[in-house]
Amino acid sequence: MSSGASPETARTTPSSAGVKRLLARTLRHLSRAALGALGVLLVTFTLIHLIPGDPVEILLGDAATEELVAKYRQILGLEGSLPQQFARYLASVAQGDLGTSIQTGQSVNSVVARTLPMTAWLIGVTVLMALLMALPLGVAAALLRGTWFDHAFRVATSVSLATPSFYFGLLLILLFAVRLGWAPVAGYQPGFPGNLQYLWLPALTMSGALVPILARVLQSSIAETMEQEFVETAIVRGLPAPVLVWRYLLRPSLAPTISLLGYILGQLLSATVVVEIVFNLPGMGTALVVEGVLLRDYPVVQGIILIFALIVVAVSFLSDTVSGWLDPRTRLS
Amino acid sequence: MKRRPRFLPVDLNRSALVGAAIVLLVIVLSVLVPLLSPYDPVAATGPALAAPGGQHLFGTDQLGRDVFTRTFAAGRLDLILALVGVSAPLLVGTFLGAVLGTTRNRLVAWLWLMVIDAINAFPFVVLVIAIVAVVGPGVTGLLIGLAAVNWARYARIARSRALILRNADFVEATRVLGYSRLRVLVRHILPNVYSETIAYGLSDFVIVVLTVSSLSFLGAGVNPPTPEWGAMIADGRLYLQTQWWITVFPGLALSFTAIGVALLAHGVSGRYAGEK
Repeated sequence: MSSGASPETARTTPSSAGVKRLLARTLRHLSRAALGALGVLLVTFTLIHLIPGDPVEILLGDAATEELVAKYRQILGLEGSLPQQFARYLASVAQGDLGTSIQTGQSVNSVVARTLPMTAWLIGVTVLMALLMALPLGVAAALLRGTWFDHAFRVATSVSLATPSFYFGLLLILLFAVRLGWAPVAGYQPGFPGNLQYLWLPALTMSGALVPILARVLQSSIAETMEQEFVETAIVRGLPAPVLVWRYLLRPSLAPTISLLGYILGQLLSATVVVEIVFNLPGMGTALVVEGVLLRDYPVVQGIILIFALIVVAVSFLSDTVSGWLDPRTRLS
Repeated sequence: MKRRPRFLPVDLNRSALVGAAIVLLVIVLSVLVPLLSPYDPVAATGPALAAPGGQHLFGTDQLGRDVFTRTFAAGRLDLILALVGVSAPLLVGTFLGAVLGTTRNRLVAWLWLMVIDAINAFPFVVLVIAIVAVVGPGVTGLLIGLAAVNWARYARIARSRALILRNADFVEATRVLGYSRLRVLVRHILPNVYSETIAYGLSDFVIVVLTVSSLSFLGAGVNPPTPEWGAMIADGRLYLQTQWWITVFPGLALSFTAIGVALLAHGVSGRYAGEK
């Protein structure tokens, strides 16, 4: 442990052994991410085989002719043995082909391309909004540990986490859109900055689940940082408060939050599905439910959940890597 | 290594008591609703869209069904679904995880771990809804979806716990005593692993009850006309501006339940989700 060292001195003297260790770590994370992606593909591939009975028969019913059956088998990738099917699935995904919708005949790629930007905007605005709320809350809760504020913080975050986002969203619509008229009730127009008008209320709804997680992680990691000797040293040195809070409290405390990004993104993507439906936003979540699940369009379901999971795997890899860079102490020990 | 029987409510503080009271109230009302209310939860029993009060404490919905009766009939279904959706994966996942944490067969353990990590990589609601899409909506589909996804999280927790326990002194001692590996697993490792996953199970109950109602809200869960909180909220959405009671009462019941369990979980385990 090098807990006594100031974060500055640790950063300015990177030993070559430290850099090597960092590279080895990154490689290990990368191989783990590749394996994770393979596992994710195995799950999405297995999904279609969970259908009780023959999916083609279920889809076609009495309309089944030999020709149609053969065509649907081909679209669903159900020709040949299981290993052959999986190999074909891997090959097509590797070439960037997510399959074809059985309801509309569109490529799943085009469904993703049409809906991904809106979902990305929603998540981006949510993260920004949630950080703006969670940072001061987390810092305050850590500094005021054991006071009434801390207790109120704990209860409020528990309540917020336990409130279903679709209910919270409806209440926000009732208050901000219907009563106050500050936002449209539902719908979306692409194009920055006009789209923010449609996004801020859904983003606020999603923040209801995100802020408690972020603020709690921040609170506990800041509380841990405060016990470090370098913080005491900084206080004794009489540094101005902003420098103290940012460089000596927040920066060393951000690593745990960043290493949780993969988990947090998973939570956000789950929330997107529900919130997009509540606010009638044409994103990936709406596509998954309306075009995929409710219409039983298996390739659309497979394709969209694959993208969701791959995003989580990629972000987990990035956050593991970045949190290693951000906190120099992980390079030393 | 201290052995902590964590699931015993050793530290029943104020938040745990408040949580327990809320949960108890919802359970009692849900169980007793056939005695408390003369109405059928799925049949029209009054004028449509009647305001709360008088004959109908919570009002009636667009089909003239009594919202009070439906809210607590839904409570029974949601609580049972969440209970099964937590306990089945808890039992299976913990056992599997403990076995994986103690087995000497590296390859098998590695393959299982890959599957566990792959399932956990998916956003929870997203994978459950995808499985419901293929096996078909309804109570059975919902339970299959929850079980198929949720076991992996318990297995992950149980495995890391078992890995630590494997090297604990008291397990070391059983080896010296020459106990069989099965006996060590069942009598010494599993009880300690279960106390860990049961503590997690309480906060997981919140996630599962919210997932059940979210899926029904989206139309991919419990089928109408069966009363279910999420489905009722979806029903009342169109009337939100004028007949708020159709949406607000089931929503309050759902939030109260989730908050009650969250407070209970928070108080009983003395720590909370998000904090390590």
